[in-house]
Amino acid sequence: MRKVTNIAIAGVGGQGIILASDVIAAAALCAGHDVKKNEVHGMAQRGGSVVSEIRFGDRIYSPLIPDGEVDVIVGLELLEALRHVHRLRPNGLVIADELRLRPAVRPPGAPDYPDNIVDRLRASAGRFVLVPAAKLAADAGNARAANTVLIGVLSKHVPLPLDAWHAALRSCLRPALLEVNLRTFALGQRHAGG
Amino acid sequence: MTASALPATCALLSGDEAIARGAFEAGVRVAAAYPGTPATEILEALVGCEGVHAEWSPNEKVALEVGIGASLAGARAIVSMKHVGLNVASDPLMTASYVGVRGGLVIVTADDPGMFSSQNEQDNRHYAPFAKVPMLEPSDSQEAKDFTIAAFELSGRFDTPVLLRITTRIAHSNSRVQLGERVEHEPTGFVSEPAKTVMVPGNARRRHELVEARTVALREYAETCPFNRIEKGDARIGIICSGVAYQYVKEVRPNAAILKLGLTWPLPKRLIRRFAKSVGKLYVVEELDPYLEEQIRAMGIEFAHKPTAPRTGELNPNAVARFLGSRKKLPPAAEGLPPRPPALCPGCGHRALLTALKRLKVFVSGDIGCYTLGVQPPLQTMDTCICMGASVSVAHGVEKATGRSDNMVAVIGDSTFVHSGITPLIDIVYNKGTSTVIILDNETTAMTGHQEHPATGKTAAREPTARLSLEDLCRIIGVPHVSVVDPYDVKQTQALIKAALDRSEPSVIIARRRCVLLDRDRVRHPYRVEAERCVGCGVCLSHGCPALADVTPKGKRKKKVQILPQLCASCGVCAAICPSGAIVKGGNDA
Repeated sequence: MRKVTNIAIAGVGGQGIILASDVIAAAALCAGHDVKKNEVHGMAQRGGSVVSEIRFGDRIYSPLIPDGEVDVIVGLELLEALRHVHRLRPNGLVIADELRLRPAVRPPGAPDYPDNIVDRLRASAGRFVLVPAAKLAADAGNARAANTVLIGVLSKHVPLPLDAWHAALRSCLRPALLEVNLRTFALGQRHAGG
Repeated sequence: MTASALPATCALLSGDEAIARGAFEAGVRVAAAYPGTPATEILEALVGCEGVHAEWSPNEKVALEVGIGASLAGARAIVSMKHVGLNVASDPLMTASYVGVRGGLVIVTADDPGMFSSQNEQDNRHYAPFAKVPMLEPSDSQEAKDFTIAAFELSGRFDTPVLLRITTRIAHSNSRVQLGERVEHEPTGFVSEPAKTVMVPGNARRRHELVEARTVALREYAETCPFNRIEKGDARIGIICSGVAYQYVKEVRPNAAILKLGLTWPLPKRLIRRFAKSVGKLYVVEELDPYLEEQIRAMGIEFAHKPTAPRTGELNPNAVARFLGSRKKLPPAAEGLPPRPPALCPGCGHRALLTALKRLKVFVSGDIGCYTLGVQPPLQTMDTCICMGASVSVAHGVEKATGRSDNMVAVIGDSTFVHSGITPLIDIVYNKGTSTVIILDNETTAMTGHQEHPATGKTAAREPTARLSLEDLCRIIGVPHVSVVDPYDVKQTQALIKAALDRSEPSVIIARRRCVLLDRDRVRHPYRVEAERCVGCGVCLSHGCPALADVTPKGKRKKKVQILPQLCASCGVCAAICPSGAIVKGGNDA
């Protein structure tokens, strides 16, 4: 059986999902794995639902993760995490920011933003880590670095060495943003949960 | 070139970047494209590469003709476009096939199954037999690079343009690529050879004979082409596949016998027959049209499956598993979740203009760009969207059929106007139309990620160049009424459009407001709602700005609105349309 780790990052266009997936893919590459990553560009980015997937291991075929085989869902927003939770493998992990963002566009008849998302995530996921990532990032000096807080959490749950994560952050971030993101990454590692 | 001969340099590249890398290593001299998802990043990755001229052409037809010229001068050239772009470039494509090449000419078509950012999901594999040009289909980034290099070699060897066909999941998936060195191909220079390059009927008849002979040679090549290969496995099931479908097949049936086709036109018929005979149940797994299936059925080969594969939307590993007989039950998606469709950004000039149109209650002949999002609630101000430039000509057709031009406007972005909007505007003037055309000028090609175009005054490399003046162009075409307005000024914009609709002469209104995503340095003074003046009518919510949150308590009819200061771009459009003057600049909501 080939060993593959499958990660899906879900959120809202503009939250830094592509950057987060770049960092994870770069870390896996640094650690010597075969890697595939997919993402959505174009129209789909304008504040809509966005998901990016990263797979790494000995040999990766499909760039899309089959349903039921996602190991970790990283949610930059609660509703978007819930949208993908059915794709987790049994005993899969959800790491999510506490952030709730109402959809900007509300088609007629669309349901309200659910108020029981945390309960539903807890019930569906094998393991669930809720992190005040946006708040931690703001306190650390950059509200937009919530994505690297969550990557810090993720780093404690996937089999990649710390130096690969640091190398990935250095290769993906502009020098001006590196320091704060190394800080938020470390913050995330301290909030890694069980 | 084999991967082992290359230096041990490895990068994680998207399919688009890998194609650009392949073209670079193959010594490409000229690259031309018009931006279009999912092909945009190919040209972007070639900008700034030493020894390469990389340009945004006004449209795909021009881009391909530039590529043909470069190839006839003996240079290697690559032209890239999204699937519908090849429709625009199909005119030169069909004859370029007759003319052939001098340097190699590779045409990349990036199809969009599932329509992440497209108006249709046509399957461009059909263009290869139609134009009689060979077609390669990579299935990951390494192949995207290798096949690009091979495409240049094939192009030169068989004197033909070569089609490189990818899909969104190849273009925008990243995987490992071994990098190589650039091998220069010096252009030989242009030489006159009318029998090859002047397609008058007498010459074209002879070239057509050569095209047919070339096809025979290519069919023979296909049988031994290294990109068509049998992967031995459990022969009870045999699967024929290409492109990203190959990856899905390997994912769900890693042990099956597979015929992987890299060259998908012309097909290797003997290889296919041999494979079909060697396996039990034969399947073909392909995305969109039954392109391989119908050709193989026409050879008298039957499949184990009925012709019931999904013909719409994107394939994925789950769909392929089901198609190949898996009955695995998967948990359903969470129910009762509100959708989150994409929306125009806060402060978008398009929203301001569409708000004015909504208040005027006119039909809107639409076009391709971010503004097409205006079709969604609550704006709902878009009545047609066909293809690049069609807004202008469709409005003219409506006028000629109904005799009225006072109840419809055409809206078209600046980049789209340069792409395909100019000739229909000439048509309106020439044929005595009186339509109103609004150019939504955000000074960029926004939807594909902010590329330059002739009216921005900058090249692909962001170097200053001659700037096309849209207002001068419209005047010189003969439009008698050309005006420029800032769409943030909703009242003036509305008045200008009203006057244009009432006139019995054609009008162009240029609604100029730089894309808000490029205007991040603009000082913002967020607006707020003054509770004591707000009557709760909800009019401000009718233009769908993400910065305005509907916080009406449950069961209450009177609307309560909050402006989110972190999102507000202080465009003032909500304040302009508030009937009670309750939206004001500055501070937090009272």
